[in-house]
Amino acid sequence: MKKLLGHLTWAAIAVLGAYFLGGIALNRGESINSMWLVVASVCLYLVGFRFYAKFIAAKVMALNDERATPAERLRDGHDFEPTNKWIVFGHHFAAIAGPGPLVGPTLAAQFGYLPGTLWIIIGAVLGGCVQDFIILFCSMRRNGKSLGQMAREEIGKVGGFTALLTVLLIMIILLAVVALVVVNALKDSPWGTFTIAATMPIAVFMGLYLRYLRPGKVLEVSVIGFILVVASIFGGQWVSESSTWSPWFTYGGIALAWAVIFYGFLASALPVWLLLAPRDYLSTFVKLGVVLMLGVGILFVRPEMKMPAFTQFVDGTGPIFAGKVFPFCFITIACGAISGFHSLISSGTTPKMIAKEWHAWPVGYGSMALESFVAVMAMISACVLDPGIYFAINSPAGVVGATADKAVAMISSWGYPVTVGAMRELAANVGEETLFYRTGGAPSLALGMAHIFASSVGGKVILGFWYHFAIMFEALFILTIIDAGTRVGRFMLQDLLGHVYKPLGRTGWMPGVIVASAAIVLGWGYFLIQGVKDPLGGINSLWPLFGIANQLLAAIAMCVATTILVKMHRAKYMWITCIPLTWLVVVCYSAAIEKIFSDVPRIGFLSQANVLQAALDAGRIPEAQLAATQAQIFNNRLDAVVCAIFLVLVTTILADSVRLWYRILTGGQPARVVEAEFVLSRLRPEEV
Amino acid sequence: MSALRNIAKTALAILREIADENAYERHLRAQNTKHSKDEWRRFCELRFNAKYRRAKCC
Repeated sequence: MKKLLGHLTWAAIAVLGAYFLGGIALNRGESINSMWLVVASVCLYLVGFRFYAKFIAAKVMALNDERATPAERLRDGHDFEPTNKWIVFGHHFAAIAGPGPLVGPTLAAQFGYLPGTLWIIIGAVLGGCVQDFIILFCSMRRNGKSLGQMAREEIGKVGGFTALLTVLLIMIILLAVVALVVVNALKDSPWGTFTIAATMPIAVFMGLYLRYLRPGKVLEVSVIGFILVVASIFGGQWVSESSTWSPWFTYGGIALAWAVIFYGFLASALPVWLLLAPRDYLSTFVKLGVVLMLGVGILFVRPEMKMPAFTQFVDGTGPIFAGKVFPFCFITIACGAISGFHSLISSGTTPKMIAKEWHAWPVGYGSMALESFVAVMAMISACVLDPGIYFAINSPAGVVGATADKAVAMISSWGYPVTVGAMRELAANVGEETLFYRTGGAPSLALGMAHIFASSVGGKVILGFWYHFAIMFEALFILTIIDAGTRVGRFMLQDLLGHVYKPLGRTGWMPGVIVASAAIVLGWGYFLIQGVKDPLGGINSLWPLFGIANQLLAAIAMCVATTILVKMHRAKYMWITCIPLTWLVVVCYSAAIEKIFSDVPRIGFLSQANVLQAALDAGRIPEAQLAATQAQIFNNRLDAVVCAIFLVLVTTILADSVRLWYRILTGGQPARVVEAEFVLSRLRPEEV
Repeated sequence: MSALRNIAKTALAILREIADENAYERHLRAQNTKHSKDEWRRFCELRFNAKYRRAKCC
């Protein structure tokens, strides 16, 4: 009877999911309620988790709770520790949740809500969750080894080196693009700039408090830090209204970019306990709290989606970034559907904390499903705005015109009416001078979130507070990624430089620290400045580059996973990893080739460089813009080269993997699994 | 009621894990020592050295 009831419940969830998914997919011409997206996605995640992931766990991985995990075998009280599965789940989710699932869907909303939503849900259920789960399993069976180590051991030395180099390059592009999101959000915004600037002394105060006043009291100091950050939002409002103080915190894009670059260098070179670690604690808690608030807010408000299912920009003429819905929707949304970066987390701390093998099922698959749901919420937040307002905020001046009148005329001509008066009123409501040309996704996401929060608590009166609260939340954890990423990049570079000159490899040697930090900071800083100066808004070139890089890293992870399945004599299940791998390869290669070679100047890097070069040669560029144009030509060619390098690196690892699979499957090479030996688990249930 | 208490307990345990407070307790147990300023600094050095060598997710 109980079994029958279980079957009926799952059948009902599946039917409900199919009905709601059909509803959002087939609806045209009418606005729909956001609950359709919520119910469809939740039902599909549940079905994917219960049936597909369980099938992979039982049949493909053959998870076995009798087998001791590295957490039990190598228990050391530090990294290796058997931990309750829900604690590992929360810890893992906090580690994988970044700005990607929030910003990507916001940008992809230019195609309408449907393409992005379908990709988020289907991509996660069949790709992203599977990647995180299988890499977690592989690392767990290999004493918690990293993706790079597994690539080296399972595929070969070429694969290992390629993975390391790819990660380093991706880090540089990632840091540049997230820094650009922050710079665009804070440009000419004294309220936002003051709030974010205040988080730095607050983080230093937290660091000193933990070091000297109350060592070990991290939760306590995080609560104090949060109260101070909220106070700084009110302080920011006061600053923005003060004619004396406002100019002190009003900066253009270039000045803010240099400030972020300087901050990245400082955070990389300063002791971790002083700035990086306390900021990391604070941003993680704020992030979890805001995600929870957003979920509750959407359930409470149940807002209508104002964006249509499809916009005309599926043809590639979108103002936010150029390119057709295929392949660009699928690289714009990476985190939330499938993100290569997650494979680094799944082969990091998490496999060292898993107490029982079956815990990898909710932790690996379930956490990613939750992250994907965050992406659905971001899509809802972007799509509850009037499309005219959404495009006015996110379109660069180079596309819609350099004055407010020109911009609203252009956007209204697309069929999304908006007026200068409405934009002015909205800007005044959130305490900003203007909301035009705020590219990068963060301001429109913040506005959507503020709309949902204000509809739940406080109404229009505190829309400005909620807007800046959302901006603070986005900038806070983006800056944490910048400081931690710069530091990690520094270590990776020092590892490489150590082969050239040994002292440079020592992480405690100050000249080495300064040289490596400066090199990393200048690396991503160069791309950041390029993005800020780009008349097309920067996001048009940098976000696709980041998306391609991130998805290519996922392709590397899938190569490692497939290799391990083949070696485990599970070749008949290769389709589980090969289907997402094939999709990733097709999408990334299509996008990269278009970004390099497309004839459309807004899409193709080389074609844009050629158009500018032709204008330069014909003397059509005013003398004052000669240097800027030459720099733009160089940058476009550089972007094309970076894109090509990504393709070469991934082609190398892909060819190496396919060669290995072929040799193993045809008997040319024995399938030797590099797993830790079986040891019987002695962990008692009460210990986990 | 006890289910709610369990959820709250688990939520607090997750927050303590993220805050490294659980890890510090494990460290004290493993080292067989008591909490002090110096011990916390030693723990931070070990913990942060490992933690901030890994990439943060996007």
